[in-house]
Amino acid sequence: MSEKEMSQYGEGIGFERIRRITGYLVGTVDRFNNAKRAEVNDRVKHGV
Amino acid sequence: MIFTVKKRDGREMPFNIEKIADAVIKAFRASGELDEQIKAAQAQMNLLGNDDLLTNAALKVAAEAVGHLEAENKTKPDIEEIQDAVEKALTEGGYADTAKSYILYRAERTRVREVNTRLMQTLHDITFSSAKESDLKRENANIDGDTAMGTMLKYGSESAKHFYTMMMLKPEHSRAHMDGDIHIHDLDFYSLTMTCCQIDLIKLFKNGFNTGHGHLREPKDIRSYAALAAIAIQSNQNDQHGGQSVPNFDYAMADGVRITYRKAYLSNIVKALILYTGKEEEEIQPGIKKLHSEMAEMGMVATLVPNEKFVETEAHELAKIYDADIVKKSQKFAEKMAFEETDKATFQAMEAFVHNLNSMHSRAGAQTPFSSINYGMCTEPEARMVMKNLLLTTEEGLGGGETAIFPIQIFRVKDGINLNPGEPNYDLFKLACRVSAKRLFPNFSFQDAPYNLQYYKPGHPETEISYMGCRTRVIGNHYDPSREISYGRGNLSFTSINLPRIAIKMKSVDLFFKELDRMLQLVSDQLMERFAVQSRRKVKNFPFLMGQGVWIDSDKLGWEDTVGEVIKHGTLSIGFIGLAETLVMLTGKHHGESEASQELGLKIIGHMREFCDKESERLGLNFSLLATPAEGLSGRFVRMDKKKFGIIPGVTDRDYYTNSFHVPVYYRISAFKKLSLEAPYHALTNAGHISYIELDGDPTQNLDAFEKIVKHMAKVGIGYGSINHPVDRDPVCGFVGVIGDVCPRCGRSEGHAISCEKLAELRKKFPGMPAFRGIR
Repeated sequence: MSEKEMSQYGEGIGFERIRRITGYLVGTVDRFNNAKRAEVNDRVKHGV
Repeated sequence: MIFTVKKRDGREMPFNIEKIADAVIKAFRASGELDEQIKAAQAQMNLLGNDDLLTNAALKVAAEAVGHLEAENKTKPDIEEIQDAVEKALTEGGYADTAKSYILYRAERTRVREVNTRLMQTLHDITFSSAKESDLKRENANIDGDTAMGTMLKYGSESAKHFYTMMMLKPEHSRAHMDGDIHIHDLDFYSLTMTCCQIDLIKLFKNGFNTGHGHLREPKDIRSYAALAAIAIQSNQNDQHGGQSVPNFDYAMADGVRITYRKAYLSNIVKALILYTGKEEEEIQPGIKKLHSEMAEMGMVATLVPNEKFVETEAHELAKIYDADIVKKSQKFAEKMAFEETDKATFQAMEAFVHNLNSMHSRAGAQTPFSSINYGMCTEPEARMVMKNLLLTTEEGLGGGETAIFPIQIFRVKDGINLNPGEPNYDLFKLACRVSAKRLFPNFSFQDAPYNLQYYKPGHPETEISYMGCRTRVIGNHYDPSREISYGRGNLSFTSINLPRIAIKMKSVDLFFKELDRMLQLVSDQLMERFAVQSRRKVKNFPFLMGQGVWIDSDKLGWEDTVGEVIKHGTLSIGFIGLAETLVMLTGKHHGESEASQELGLKIIGHMREFCDKESERLGLNFSLLATPAEGLSGRFVRMDKKKFGIIPGVTDRDYYTNSFHVPVYYRISAFKKLSLEAPYHALTNAGHISYIELDGDPTQNLDAFEKIVKHMAKVGIGYGSINHPVDRDPVCGFVGVIGDVCPRCGRSEGHAISCEKLAELRKKFPGMPAFRGIR
C-alpha cells in the first residue's frame, strides 16, 4: 500500500441515500426498480 | 424448385414434403373429415386402404401447398410461410374442418413454444444479468437479486407465475393479467398461501410455542420477550408471502418488563439486606423469594411504579425479621436499582429486537422478514418504558448508525391519550416525531378517524386500529360481525385494476363506469377462484400460522383439517393505481388542480367501495377496497399502456403511474392541502391506505412543523400517514442527515477520500463513528 493510500480513506465510497419507496423502506435508492426511481426523482417538496 | 427450408432458429434444412404431409394427416385425424371415406374403404375389406387414403389426400394437399409457394417464387420458405400455404391448400381443397383443426394445431404449437421460450428467456435473464442492470431483479427491492438464494427464489417465482397463468387461472383472468388490465399480486404464491397476518403475541407466548424446529418456553424476561417476538415474526413469515405485523407490541412487551422488574427487585432487596445486615445470601434470599411468591398468590407484586399494597405488606412482613429502618432503606434501594436495571435491560432488548429484524433470514434466506409493529396507546408504565426505549434505539440506528429498514413502526395516535400536552403518552408522541424526523419511522396511524373509531372499544386493545407497514388494514368483519378485531387476521389476496387504461379506452365518463363495473366483476370472480384454491389448503400447510394458532380460530382445527372456514375472517381486496392519470384522461385535470376532478375521483373510488360492500353482502365474505402500494406495479401498467396507446400527456408520459389515489408527486401543493384532498379517500379504502408528505431539508431542525403536519393528519381524517425527507449517510464518517454534494461532517464529496488525520480528529468529537480499516 502506498503512503498516500495509507493516509487517505474513502476513495470510491459513495453516500447512502435512503428514501421511502411506498409505506416501507427498502434501503438505498439503487435497489429501487426503474419506475420507482423515476418517481423519486420527480417528487417535489410540500410547503408547510 | 424448393430445396431448403428456413427453421425458426434460422438454420436451413433440406426440404421434405413428407413432413408437411405428416402435419396434414394429424389435422385430418383431428377433424375426422375423411372418416366416412376410410370406413367405406374398410367395408370393402381394403385393409391397406385407410392409410393409403389418408396419405394420398395429405400428399395431395402438401403438393398443392408447394405449388402455391413456388408460384410466389418462395424458394427458401420459412415455417410460417409453409403453414400459410397449407392452410390455403386445405381450404381450397374443400376441407374446411381440417383447415380449422390445422389452425388450432398451429396455435397450440405456438403457445407451447412461447411458454418454453418465454420462461427460458426469463430464466436466462435472471442467470446472466446483475440486479444493477436487470429491472426484473429489482422488482421487489427487499430481495437481494444478486445472491444465490435471491436468484433461486426468482427462478421459483418466475416459473410458478408461468405455471399459474398457463395452467391454473381461468383464461379470461390470465389474459386480463397478462394484458395489463388487472394485476394479480403475488401470483407466484397463487395456490400456496394467504398474504399477511396480525400476530397477537400475548396469546402466542402463553405456554410457549413451537417454531417447527423446536419448542420455546414462555418467556421470563424482557430480553427473551423481544427475542421471541422476532422469532415469531420470522416463523410466521415462512408461511406467508406478505407482511407480518404485531398489533399489540406495547401491551405484549409490557408483560416482559413486569417480570424483569420483579426479578430485579428481588435480587436488589436481597443485596441491600446483605449489605445492611452483614448476613450471607443463603440466609436472606430463600426467605424473601418465598415471601414474594406467597404475596404474588394474593395478587401483590413489585411494580415499576411501586404500589402501596406490595410495599407496605412487604415492609410489614420483613420487619418481623429485620430492623424496620433497614427494611425501608433496602426497599428504596431495590426500587431504584430495579428500575434502572429494567430500563437498561429493556433498551438492550429493543436494540436486539431491531437488530434481529434487520438481520434474521426468512424465505430461503433471501430476505429479512417483512415486519411491522403497532404501538402507542397503552399507558401502563411498563409499556411506556418499552416504547421509550424502542424509539431511542431506533433514533440511534444500527451498529454503524445506519437507519433500520425493519420493523416498520406505526405509532398509534389518539386524542386524550397521546396527541395533546398533558395527556399520558404525549411525551412519547413527541419522541416519536423526533425519531421519525431522523429515521423516517415511526409512521403514524390515527385511531380517531371515524372509520377507525367506529370499531374501537376502550379497554379492548384488539379493537384498536392496526396497519401492516405497507398499508393493509383489516378490522371490519362482514363474515362474523362479532369479531371486528385485528388480531389473528389479515388479507387473503388482492388484485389491482389498471384505472388509467379504462379511461384511455373509454374516454367518456359514462362509458368509464360501465367498463369499470365489468372489470370489478372480473376481479371479484378471480379473487373468489383464488379463495377456493386457498380454502382447500390444510393446517399442515401452515405449520406456524395455523399449527400454532396464530390465525384466528385456527387453534380449533386439526392438522389435516382444511382452512376454508377460518380464512373467511380474512379479506379479499380489490386495489387500484393511477387515479390521478385517470382523472387527467377524463377531465384534463387531476384532483390536485381541479375541484371537479376531485369530485369525480371520489365518485369513482366511492363506486368501487360500494361494489366491494355489495360483494361482501352477496357472498358473505370480506371484500374490501385497497389503495394499492404498487412498488413493482407502478411501472408495469404504464409500460404496457405506452406501448398500446402511445404517449398521452399527463397520462402515459412518465415511467410510473401515480400511487393509488395520491396527488401526483410532481405537482406543487402545500402539505395541508394535499392531506385534506387525500383524507376522504382514506375513508373509502377500507383495505388500507397511506398518505405522504415530502419535507425539505432536515426536519429534526424543525420538529414543530413536523408535529403540526401529524396533527393535521389527525384533524382531517387521515388513517395512516408518514412524512418523507431525505435520509443520507456517509459510511466513511457516519454522518446521518441531508447530504448534498459534500458531507457536512467530514467535508468529503461522493467517492473521494479524506485524510486519516482528519478522521481521527473527528472521532474525538463523534466517538460513535464507524470503524475504517479496523481502526477505531
